[in-house]
Amino acid sequence: MKRERSITGPLILALTTVMVVFWLAAIGLSVRVMQQEFDEIFDSAQQETTERLLALILDDLNQNTNIDPRSIAMLNTAASREYLTYQVRDPSGKVALRSNDAPAEPFDAPLRTGFHDTATARIYTEMTADGSLFLQVADRFKNRREAVRESSLTLLIPLIALIPVSIFAIWFIVGRALRPIETLRRDIGTKDSGNLAEVNGQNLPVELRPIARSVNLLLGRLRAALEAEREFTANSAHELRTPIAGALAQTQRLVEELPPGATQDRVHQVEISLVNLGRLAEKLLQLSRAEAGIGGSSTAVDLRPVLDMVVTDFQRDSRTNGRLQYSAAHDAKLVRNADMDAFGIVTRNLIENALLHGDPELPVNVSLESGGIIRVVNGGPLVRDTEMASLKKRFSRGKTTASGSGLGLAIADRIIAQMGGTLELSSPATGAKTGFEAKVTLPA
Amino acid sequence: MRILLVEDDRLIGGAVRDHVAAANHAVDWVQNLVDADAAARPVDYGLILLDLQLPDGSGVEFLRRLRERGLKTPVIILTARDQISDRIDGLNAGADDYLVKPFHLDELEARIMAVARRYDANPHPVLRISDIEINRPLHQLSVAGETIILTSREWAVLDLLTARPGAIVPKDRIEEALYAFGSEIESNTVEVYVSRLRKKIGKDRIRTARGIGYTLG
Repeated sequence: MKRERSITGPLILALTTVMVVFWLAAIGLSVRVMQQEFDEIFDSAQQETTERLLALILDDLNQNTNIDPRSIAMLNTAASREYLTYQVRDPSGKVALRSNDAPAEPFDAPLRTGFHDTATARIYTEMTADGSLFLQVADRFKNRREAVRESSLTLLIPLIALIPVSIFAIWFIVGRALRPIETLRRDIGTKDSGNLAEVNGQNLPVELRPIARSVNLLLGRLRAALEAEREFTANSAHELRTPIAGALAQTQRLVEELPPGATQDRVHQVEISLVNLGRLAEKLLQLSRAEAGIGGSSTAVDLRPVLDMVVTDFQRDSRTNGRLQYSAAHDAKLVRNADMDAFGIVTRNLIENALLHGDPELPVNVSLESGGIIRVVNGGPLVRDTEMASLKKRFSRGKTTASGSGLGLAIADRIIAQMGGTLELSSPATGAKTGFEAKVTLPA
Repeated sequence: MRILLVEDDRLIGGAVRDHVAAANHAVDWVQNLVDADAAARPVDYGLILLDLQLPDGSGVEFLRRLRERGLKTPVIILTARDQISDRIDGLNAGADDYLVKPFHLDELEARIMAVARRYDANPHPVLRISDIEINRPLHQLSVAGETIILTSREWAVLDLLTARPGAIVPKDRIEEALYAFGSEIESNTVEVYVSRLRKKIGKDRIRTARGIGYTLG
C-alpha cells in the first residue's frame, strides 16, 4: 500500500537535519579556530618556557658544574607524567641533560632556534648566546589533541541533548504554523454534493486566503451548476408529465365513453401504454435527479414523516390491494443528513419494486427499526446469487416477468450511496426461507 | 357538489371536467388564477381542484391567499410536481389532498369523495335517513328498498341537503349548485328541482324553511 504523504513529517525531519548539520558545521569551524588558537597559545607557552628554562639551566651550570637534571624545576612536577620534556644538547648533538620522561636518544630536531615538528611532538629549540648549549623542549601532539578533543566534546554534548528537544520544538512550531492548513483541509474535506457551503476564509493567514477564495469560487460554480441541473430536471418533470397526464386522462375518458367492444379494448391498450410511458419517464427523471447528486444534505432532517407519507400513499392506492403492511418501532428515530425528496424517491422505488416483483398473493412488509434501519420485505421465490449481483445495475430486471423499468434499485442504490448509507439486498429475507429483502442503513 | 377546477392544460382540464361531471358534480373550469379568484369569491364551492403551475402564478400562493381570507373550501392539488417538499408546501398552504400527474381519473373521483366525506357531518359513504339510503360515491339512492334514479341536477340538490342532515341549506346555495350545470336559472328553478326530489323520495322528506331554504329529514 502506498504511504500517504504528509507535510509535517518531512518538514520536521528536514528542519532537524539542517539544524544538526549547521550545528555540526559550526562546531567544526569552532574546533578548527580553537585548534589554531590553542596551537598559538601552546607555542607561545612552549617558547617562553624554553627561554626561561634555558636561563635557569645556564644559571645552575654557572653555580654548580655537577648539575643534576632532576633538580631543575619541571613544568609539571605534580603530574605523574610530563607534558613538556626537554633535552640539553651540546653543538655536536649529544644530550647533556634531559628531563625524566625525555628519551635518552636526542630529539629528531635540528639544533636551530625555532620550532620543528616530528612525528609525535612539536619541539622548540633555543641556544645559549655563545652557541655552546642547545635546549630543546618537546610538547607531544597527543597532549594538544587531547585538549582540542575535550573542548570539542564539551561543545558536542549539548547538541546531543538538544536534538530531541529541537525535534519537539520544531514539531510544536510546525504544528502551530500548519494548523490553519489543517483547518482549511478539514473544511474542504467536508464538502460534497450535500454540503457546498462556502469555506470561511476570514481567519486564515494571507498565504491561504487565495486558496479559500478559489475553493469558494469553485463551490459557487458547482452550486449554480447543480441548482441549474435540479431546476432543469424539475421543469422537465413538469413538462414531461403534463402531456402524458393529458393524453392518459383523455384516453381514460374515451374508455369510459366507448361502448364495450374491440375499439374500447384497443383504447384500453393505449391507456396501458401511456401508464407505462409515464412510469418510464418518471424513472428516467428520478435517475437524472440521482445523477445530479441530490442525496446528501448538510442539515439533519427527520425522515420518518417522509416514510410515513410514502407508505400511506401506497396504502391508499387501490392497486396495492391492501398488500402493504407498515410497522415502526415506537422509539424509532430517523433524523439523518439526507435530502427528504431523495429519501422519498428511495422509499418509493423500494416499495414499488417489492409490490411489482413480489408474489401478489403475499404482503409487502415495510419496517422501521429502532436503530433507524429500514427493511422492505416481499414474498416470492428465491432470487439467485447471480441475479442478485446485477440487480443494482441499470435496466436490470432479473428473471421477473413483471413490467418494471429495471431502474428502481439502481436509482435507490445511487441515492443511498450519496447519503453515505448502504442498500443491502438479500434473498431469502431475514428469518424466512423465501422472499426478498432490501435493507437500508443510513449513517446517523 | 359544485367543484371549481383550476387547470391550464386543455387536455387534462377537459378530461377532468367531463369525468367529474359524469360523476354528477357540477364543474366550473378556469385556466388561470385571475379567473379562479373571480370564480371563488362569489360562489361557495364544495371543492377546488387546483393545479400548481399556472400561467399567471403559483397555485400554492393562491391557496395561501384563500386560507388567509378564511375560506374553508376543501382543496385537492393536482400537479406534476412529485417531490415530497412540494407536497409538504402544498399541504402546509392548506390543501386537503395532493394528487400527482399522471393520475387515474377514478383515483381522482375517490379522492374527491374522501375529502367531501371528511368535510361532511356524516363521514360514512352510505347515509341512512329513516328508510332512505344514499350511497354518495356510487350515486345510488333507495327509498324503502326501492331504487330511485336521480338526474345530475337532482343529485346536486340532494348532495347539499345530505351534507349536513337537519341543517337548513340556503336557497342561494342550491341556486349556485344548479347554475354550474350551465342552464338558465329562473326564479323558480330551485323550487322545481326540490319539488321533483320530493316526488321521488317522499313529499315530507324535505321541509321548507320559509324565506331561508330547505332541510332534509
